[in-house]
Formats: sequence, structure tokens, C-alpha cells
Amino acid sequence: MLLRLVIYLSILFLGGLIGYKKGIKKEISNKIDTIQIACLLFLLFVMGVRMGLDDKVISSFLNLGYQAVVLSVFSIIFSVIFVMFVTKFISKNSKQEEFSDDL
Amino acid sequence: MTYKIILSVLLGMFTGYFILPESVLQYTDTVIDIGLCFLLFIVGLDIGRNKNILSQIKKMGFRILLIPIMIALGSIIGSSIGGFLINLPLNESSAVGAGFGWYSLSAMMLSSYSVQTSTLAFISNVVREVFALIMIPFIAKYIGDLESIAPAGATAMDTSLPIISRSTNSKTAIISFVTGVVLSSLVPILVPLLINLPFK
Repeated sequence: MLLRLVIYLSILFLGGLIGYKKGIKKEISNKIDTIQIACLLFLLFVMGVRMGLDDKVISSFLNLGYQAVVLSVFSIIFSVIFVMFVTKFISKNSKQEEFSDDL
Repeated sequence: MTYKIILSVLLGMFTGYFILPESVLQYTDTVIDIGLCFLLFIVGLDIGRNKNILSQIKKMGFRILLIPIMIALGSIIGSSIGGFLINLPLNESSAVGAGFGWYSLSAMMLSSYSVQTSTLAFISNVVREVFALIMIPFIAKYIGDLESIAPAGATAMDTSLPIISRSTNSKTAIISFVTGVVLSSLVPILVPLLINLPFK
């Protein structure tokens, strides 16, 4: 867990440093965008493969799927609502996003 | 994007279940790790490009910590209410909710309590992660950037981070990472605590 955190942080930092120092040209950043989406979708595909390969996931989903869906959906809905309570307070003083890119 | 996400996961599950042999499973870990590192690097690039982000984050200060706290409260309370509706004991439903999407750890920590609860923790946190991946772009578009971190829970620092970063902006990506780190550290504390609640 700790090692993972250190690895993630150093990679983020390295990326941040390169992005900050060198900047990225428009053409390259467009290419990176496409690669990023492709990589993201491939990663999700592999995550799906893992679930499909793991008999435990499939068989326990058939058994406990209903309970699992209820618990996870309630968790998600309530955490979104709870965050909604505090967003005004958090983004107070800090100007709204300079740009937000929709997919 | 949401459709592409759902399609990729479903296609993967289908391929894994029907086509690929089980021996592939051992390699998927490495593939995911490499892919994740690459995506994190790109998220880093994005963050570095926007020079005023760090000062914006500084302005928010400790208020950022409110987000993981609210997500933790919302997850545990939500899962307890869900558990009440399907007649699960409070200690079990709240402990499952405190997995915050980290299915391997929460299931492992509950395995000494009961196999049934451990499996439920595993599967409902898997379901949470899948739903999170699907809902993040949608929530970012129609509700708000910070709210889109909420479904991700502990995965806001890794598997969900690239999606959050793409659906929102680099400022939210940093907040998401911090949130994921805080929630991940809470899982091993809260799950054992809640499962041992005296009232059922």
C-alpha cells in the first residue's frame, strides 16, 4: 500500500514536472488525448477480463448480486449527496475552473 | 464516454468468461499496473501544464479534507440504510460500506468474521467500482466536479483517477488523488471497527 502510494506519487510528480517545465505543443497534446482514451478503455477492458476470469466474482455475483447492488448503490448515492453539502464551502474563495473539458 | 466505458468493461468480462483461459489471470495484474502508471503520468502532465493549480489548491487548504470525510460518512450511512432495507445486521452493512470500493482489502479483513460477509464485501465493492467508472462522467457533467469524486471512494487515487481527470480538470484530479489516499488509509481502520460494533 505504502510502496504503491510512493510509486503513484512519483509518477504523478514526474509527469507534473515535465508538463510544467517543457509545456506541451498542441499537436502532441491532441495525440496524447487519443492515446489516453485508448489506454483507459483498454485498461477497463482488462479489468473486465479479470472479473470474467475469476469464477468467484461471477458465482458470488449470482448469489449476492442483489444485496451487493443495493449496498453499493446506496453508498454511492449518499456519498454524492454528502459531498454536495460541502462543495459550496470548499470552492468558496477559489475561482471556478478555468476550463473544464467534457468528454 | 459512459457507453464506451460500459462497453469496454462488459466486453472484457465476456472475453474473460468465455474466451480466455484462466492462466491469463496472472498477467492481468502487470498489464493493469503498467497501464495505470502510464495514465497517472498523463494526469501528472496535465496538472503540470496548468501552472496556477497549486495556488488554487492552497487556497482551499484543509477544507479539501472535508471531501473524503463526507464520502466516508455518506458511504457508511448509505450502506447501513441499504442494509436495513434488505435486513442485514448494521455491523455487517456498515463494514461493507467502509470498503469504499477497495474490494480486495475489505474482503480480506472480513474473512475472519464470516465467509458470507467477506464475499459480500468483495462483490459489493467490485460493483461500486464498476458503477463509479460508469457514473463519474455523468455526475461530472450534470452535478459537479467535486461530486464526481464521491462514487470512486478509495479508487479515486488510482483506477478512477484517469476518468475523473478526463471528465473534469486537473484541479479536481489533484483533489481526487488526495481523497483517494485519505479514504484508502481509513479502510483498514474503519472496517474492523464497524464489524465489531456491539449493536446489530
